[in-house]
Amino acid sequence: MNLNFDPKDLGYLAPYLIMTVSGLLLVLAEAFYKGKDRTALVGLAVAGSVASAIASIILYTQVGPNVSQQIMGEMLMYDRTSYVLSALFALTTAVAALMSPSHQREHQWVIGEYYGTMLMAASGMIMLAHAANLVTVFLGIETMSIGVYVMTAMRRTSRRGNEAAMKYFLIGAFATGFLVYGMALLYGAAGTTSIVAMRGTLASTANPGLVIAGGFLLVVAFGFKVAAVPFHMWAPDAYEGAPTPVTAFMAAAVKAAAIAAMIRVFGVALGGDVVPFGALGWASPLVVIAAITITIGNISAVRQDNIKRMLAYSSISHAGVLLTGICALGLGSITANPAIVYYLIAYNVTTMGAFAVVAYVGSRGRERLLVDDWAGLAGQHPAAALAMTICLLSLGGMPPTGGFFGKFYIFKAAMDVNDGQLLWLVLVGVVNSAISIYYYLRIVTAMYFREANQPFTPTRSGALVFVMAMCPVLILEMGIMPGWWLKLV
Amino acid sequence: MPGAFVLPLIIGLPLLGAIFVMCTPKTESSLHRGIGLTVTTITFLVSLLVLRYFNAKLDTYQLVFDVEWIPVLGAHFKTGIDGFSLYLVLLTTFLMPLTLFGTARSIDKNVREFIATMLILEAGMLGAFVALDLFLFYVMWEVMLIPMYLLIGIWGGQRRLYASIKFVIYTMAGSLLMLVAIFYVYVQAGSVLGGYTTDLEKLTQVALPYHAQVWCFAAFAVAFAIKVPLFPLHTWLPDAHVEAPTAGSVILAGVMLKFGIYGFLRYAMPLFPHGAEVWAPTIAVLSVIGIIYGALVAYAQDDVKKLVAYSSVSHLGFCALGIVALTPYGIGGSVYAMLSHGLTTGGLFLGIGVLYERRHTRRLAEYGGLWKQMPVFAGLYLIIVMGSAGLPALSGFVGEFLTLLGTFDAGIDGSPVIIPVPTILGALATTGVILGAVYLLFMFQKVFFGKLDKAKNGKLPDLTGRELGVFIPLVIGIFLMGMFPRPFLNAMDPTVKRFISEFATRQRECDGPAHRYGTMVMDKDGKCPAAPAGAAAAKTTDAQIKDNLDAVAKGAAAVEKAIAPAAKAAEGGAP
Repeated sequence: MNLNFDPKDLGYLAPYLIMTVSGLLLVLAEAFYKGKDRTALVGLAVAGSVASAIASIILYTQVGPNVSQQIMGEMLMYDRTSYVLSALFALTTAVAALMSPSHQREHQWVIGEYYGTMLMAASGMIMLAHAANLVTVFLGIETMSIGVYVMTAMRRTSRRGNEAAMKYFLIGAFATGFLVYGMALLYGAAGTTSIVAMRGTLASTANPGLVIAGGFLLVVAFGFKVAAVPFHMWAPDAYEGAPTPVTAFMAAAVKAAAIAAMIRVFGVALGGDVVPFGALGWASPLVVIAAITITIGNISAVRQDNIKRMLAYSSISHAGVLLTGICALGLGSITANPAIVYYLIAYNVTTMGAFAVVAYVGSRGRERLLVDDWAGLAGQHPAAALAMTICLLSLGGMPPTGGFFGKFYIFKAAMDVNDGQLLWLVLVGVVNSAISIYYYLRIVTAMYFREANQPFTPTRSGALVFVMAMCPVLILEMGIMPGWWLKLV
Repeated sequence: MPGAFVLPLIIGLPLLGAIFVMCTPKTESSLHRGIGLTVTTITFLVSLLVLRYFNAKLDTYQLVFDVEWIPVLGAHFKTGIDGFSLYLVLLTTFLMPLTLFGTARSIDKNVREFIATMLILEAGMLGAFVALDLFLFYVMWEVMLIPMYLLIGIWGGQRRLYASIKFVIYTMAGSLLMLVAIFYVYVQAGSVLGGYTTDLEKLTQVALPYHAQVWCFAAFAVAFAIKVPLFPLHTWLPDAHVEAPTAGSVILAGVMLKFGIYGFLRYAMPLFPHGAEVWAPTIAVLSVIGIIYGALVAYAQDDVKKLVAYSSVSHLGFCALGIVALTPYGIGGSVYAMLSHGLTTGGLFLGIGVLYERRHTRRLAEYGGLWKQMPVFAGLYLIIVMGSAGLPALSGFVGEFLTLLGTFDAGIDGSPVIIPVPTILGALATTGVILGAVYLLFMFQKVFFGKLDKAKNGKLPDLTGRELGVFIPLVIGIFLMGMFPRPFLNAMDPTVKRFISEFATRQRECDGPAHRYGTMVMDKDGKCPAAPAGAAAAKTTDAQIKDNLDAVAKGAAAVEKAIAPAAKAAEGGAP
C-alpha cells in the first residue's frame, strides 16, 4: 500500500474540502450568530455548495475521458464519473438548502445547525463519489447517514418526525453492521481494502466462499441504504416524517450517493468478468432484489393517498431501476456507467422539482399532503400544476422528459448484457412503468380534472419558485437534447 | 432533397402556436380560438406543399429531412413520407382546423389550454406519421398520449376520470411492450451493423432470428392492436369516445386510430416479416370478429356516440384485414379505407356534436323526425352516413371494396401469406358491410325520420353558417374520394408494390436454417450471408471473442443436430 501523502493531491479534492470547510464554518457561524432569523444561514450553505459544484466542474474539465487516478494513498480516486457526481451532489444540496428557509418558517422548525448538518452529510456523499477503498466507502456512508438521521429529526415537536428518525437510525445502524461485516469478509479474501487492487487479487483468491458471503452482505447493506425491497420498511415512514426539504434531500442525493458507492464496489471491485465463481455471487440476488423492488415499490405506491408516501414508494421503485443498472454494470455492460450517471442526474432534478412543488403547496403548519388536498390546483396555480405534471411525467418515464431517457438508457444497458440475461428484468421494469403511470396520473387527475374544495394558500418564497421553474425546464432540456448529457462520462 | 423543410415545418408550426397561445392573457377566449384556427389553417396550407414536392411515381421515402439528434444512441431526427403517410398527413392537417372551427364554441372553460392541447396533439400526430426513425416515432407516439388524456379528462363528460385513465393505461401498456421490442431490435442491430442506429431504413436491413421476430412482432402488434382497436382490445374505445368532447372524439376516431394500421405497415411488418407471417392469420380472424361484433354491438346502442364508436371497431377491422391479406388491393384499400373513415367518422362525430349542443342528450330515443326541422343538416348527414356505410360513389365504398377484394385474393395473387380459408373470412367480413348499412341507417332513421313527437325537438334551429362551413368541406371530400379515387390510389400504388415485393423478398431469402445463426445483415439483393455476421464484426475484448466462438459452436451444434437423422440413416445404410 502506498501511503505517501502528496500535497498536490489536495487540489483534486477541492469539492470535498470546500464542502467540509463550509459545513464547519456553518456550525461555527451558528454558534456566534447574533441575528434573530437563523434561516439567514442559508446564504452561506448555498454559497458553499455552489462553490463546491463549481470546483467539481472545473476539475471535470481537467480530467480526460478515460483517466482514473488514485490519490491519497489509494484511499480516494478521481475520474470523470466522480466529478460529475460530486457536482450533482453539491447542486442537489444547494437546491435542498434553497427550499428550506421558507419551509422552516412556515412550519416552525427553525434550527441553525440544520445547514451545517446538511453540508456535512453532503461532504460524505462527495467522499463516496471519490472513494477508492472500502474504508473510505464506509466513512463516506457513515458521514452521510449520521447527518441525515439528525436532519430527519429536526422537527423536534413532531411526533411523526421523531418516530421516523428513530426508525431510520435503528435500521440504518443495523445495516451498517452488515456493511462492516461484508467488508471484513472481502478483506479476508482479497488481502486488501483497495477497490482497484481487490479486483486483481479476488480473481485468484483461495477463499471463494468468503467473497460470495461478503458480496451478499454488501448487497444487504446497500439494499438498506437505497431502500430496496425487502429492506425498505424505514423509507415511507422516514420520508413522510421528515420535513419536505429533508425528504427531497434523502430521496435524491442520499440515494444517488449510495448508488455512487455501489458503482465503485460492485462495478469495479466485484465487477463481472473478474470474480470467477459462476454467474457472480452477488449479481443473482441483486437482480432478484431489483425486480422485487421495482414491482413492490410501484404496487405499494398505487395504494397511497399521501403524496409524500407515494413519492417515497416511487423512489423505492426508482431504486430498483438503478439496481438494474448496477447489475448491468457488474455483468459487463459498457454503457451502464453513463446510463446510471444520466439516470441519477435526471432523477435528482425531477425529485427536487416534485418536492419543491409539495413544499410550495403546503403552508402555515398545514402541509396538504393528501391527493384530495391537491384537487383543483391547476385552476388556481396553473404554473405549479404544470411544473408538478412535468416532474410526474418524468418520474413515470414519459417522453420527452429526462426520466424517459434515463429509463431508456438503463434498460438499453441491461439489454447489452450478454445473452439477454437481463431481458426479463427489463420486461419487469417496463411493465411497471405502465403501473406507475397510473398513480402519477392520479395526482395530475386531481390537479386538473377536479374542482378545488378549499382555497390554496401556497408558501411565498422566491427561492422555491426558482427551483420549481428550473427543474421542469431542465427535465425537458434533458429529454429533448440528451446527447450532451450522455457524453458526460 | 427538395421540400425537405416542409415536414419539420408542419410539426414545428403547431408547437410554436401552442407556446404562443399560452403566452396570451387567460381571459381572451376568442383570441385563443382565433390563434388556434389560424395556426391549424396555416399548417394545412403548408402541408399542401407536400403535394407539390411529392412524386407519385417514386416508391421511396420522399422529402427526407435528416439531422443527428442523439449521437450516442444513433438516433436521428429523420422525417419523410411515402404513399402510406402522404394522405394521412393531409387528413390530419385537414381535420384539425375543421374540428377547431366546428367545436371551439362548445368549449367554454380553459379555452387557452384547450387550444394549446389540441396544437400539441397535432404536432405529435404529424410527427408520428412522418417519423422515419424508430426512436423519434416512439417519442412522438407517447407525445400524442398526454394531450388526448387531458382532452378527455378536462373537457370530457360525466365519467371522464375513469375513461381518461383507462385510455392512458391501455395505450401505455401496449406501447411499453413495444418499447421492449425496440430495445431488442436496437441492441441486436447495433451489434451487427457495427454501430447503434434507430434509422428505420437501416433497421429493416437486419434479419433477426426467426423466434425473435415472432416475439417482437407480437409486442409491436399488441401496441398497434390496442390503437386500431382490434377485438378484444377495444374496450377502452367506447368509454373514451363517449366521455371525450366532440373535438377529442373527432381527432381520436379520425386520426389517432389510424396509427394502429399505420404502425403495422410502417414498422411491425417490415421489421419482422416472419413474425407477420406467423401472426397474420390470428390478426385476420380477430379483425373479422371485430367487424361483425362491432357492427352487432353498434346496432344495440341507444347512445349515438357509442354507436359510432363501435362502428369504428367494425370499420377498422376491414383495414386490419386488408393489410394482413398482403395483396396490393388489400393494402391499398386498407389505406384508402382509413382516409375515408377519417372523413366520415369525423363527420359523424361532428354531427353528434351539433345535436348534442342543441339537445344535450345523445339518446336515440330522444330524437325523431328531425328532417322536417333541420333539412340541411339531415341532407348533409345522410351523405356522411352513406359514405360511412359504403354506398358506391361515396368514399367508404372504394376502401371496403378493395380490402375485401384483396382478402379474397389472399394467397392466390402471388401473396406470400396464406390466411386460412381466405374466402370464408372474406365472406364473413362482407356481412359486416351489410350490417354496417343496417346500424347506420337505423340510427339515421331514429334521428331524422318518423314523427316530430318530442316537444323539445320542435324548436331546434338548422345548421348555422359556421357549422355549414365545417360540413361542406367534409362532404366534398367524401364525394371526391368516392368518385375520383384514382389520384389517391395512384400516389399509394408504387409504395404498396414496393412494400409487398420487399416483404416477399425478405421472407424468401432469409427463411430457413440460416436464422439459427442469429442476427445478420442482408446484402442488396436481400440475400443473407452464410456465416454469422456477428462473428465477422470487429470485436475487441476477450469476453466478446469468447461469445462469438460460443455462438459459432452453437451454430455448429445446431447443424449437427439438424443433420443427425440423415447421418444416422447413412450410417445405418452403409454396412
